[in-house]
Amino acid sequence: MSALCLVAALSGCKADAPSGLETRTATFAKHHIFIRNASQRNPQQYTHDSWQDGKEAFSHYCVACHGADGQNTGVPFATHLSPPVPSLASAEVQSYTDGQLKYILDYGIRPSGMPSSKGTLSDDELWSIVIFLRHLPKLGSQGVPDMYTH
Amino acid sequence: MKARFVLLVLLAGVFTAGLFSTHKVKAQAAPKRIEITAKKFAFDPGTVTLKKGEPVVLVIKSADVAHGLRFRELNLNVKVGKGGTAELPLTPDKTGDFVGHCSVFCGSGHGEMTMTLHVVD
Repeated sequence: MSALCLVAALSGCKADAPSGLETRTATFAKHHIFIRNASQRNPQQYTHDSWQDGKEAFSHYCVACHGADGQNTGVPFATHLSPPVPSLASAEVQSYTDGQLKYILDYGIRPSGMPSSKGTLSDDELWSIVIFLRHLPKLGSQGVPDMYTH
Repeated sequence: MKARFVLLVLLAGVFTAGLFSTHKVKAQAAPKRIEITAKKFAFDPGTVTLKKGEPVVLVIKSADVAHGLRFRELNLNVKVGKGGTAELPLTPDKTGDFVGHCSVFCGSGHGEMTMTLHVVD
């Protein structure tokens, strides 16, 4: 009996892909309840320089999970997490407002693997990352992150 | 002949005045140097007070890893290598508080590594 309970408990911990219902529920909750600052505007305008700033800041902290293109290219575990690492070009991510994207960068998303960046990156850098997210490079165009090529 | 002499004297006068005025400008322009130490995850001093219109050179010294100092509002950015020194000349043309950030990723507290230029009249 105890062995049966142990097996049941361990199978409950298995990182299966979330069902469609789970995904839809979580997406709704994030967009409408948990992720705040929907009305906050990005104080920075899109320019080549601000995009470059965003790309550089993104390369310090985000590429490990999201790849250099923001679309998981070369990230070996991207599909093995539950929930899997989303492509930042996806409609689910792009439908957040700029303020919500900044909020996610600031505070992360619990209980997913998305961590907080507040204090690790400056506000300036985080807003420039939002610009980079709105103008992501083409899928695969940035190659595999260095850390996964050794 | 007399006209030529007068012209020569005038030219010499202008040239001499030019020399002195250049000398004066050079003497005025010698900028004040302010040393700032950058180390994980702070600048020391954290606030520097400057006078509007007065040229200065911020001398940034890294006490550990590579750092940078960027004032986005003032369009100024300088990077300093590990243990190195870099100079940032500037002449503030407006008053106010301007917050600069480390512009080279230096670790977990990088985002909080700031310093303030307090510019007064």
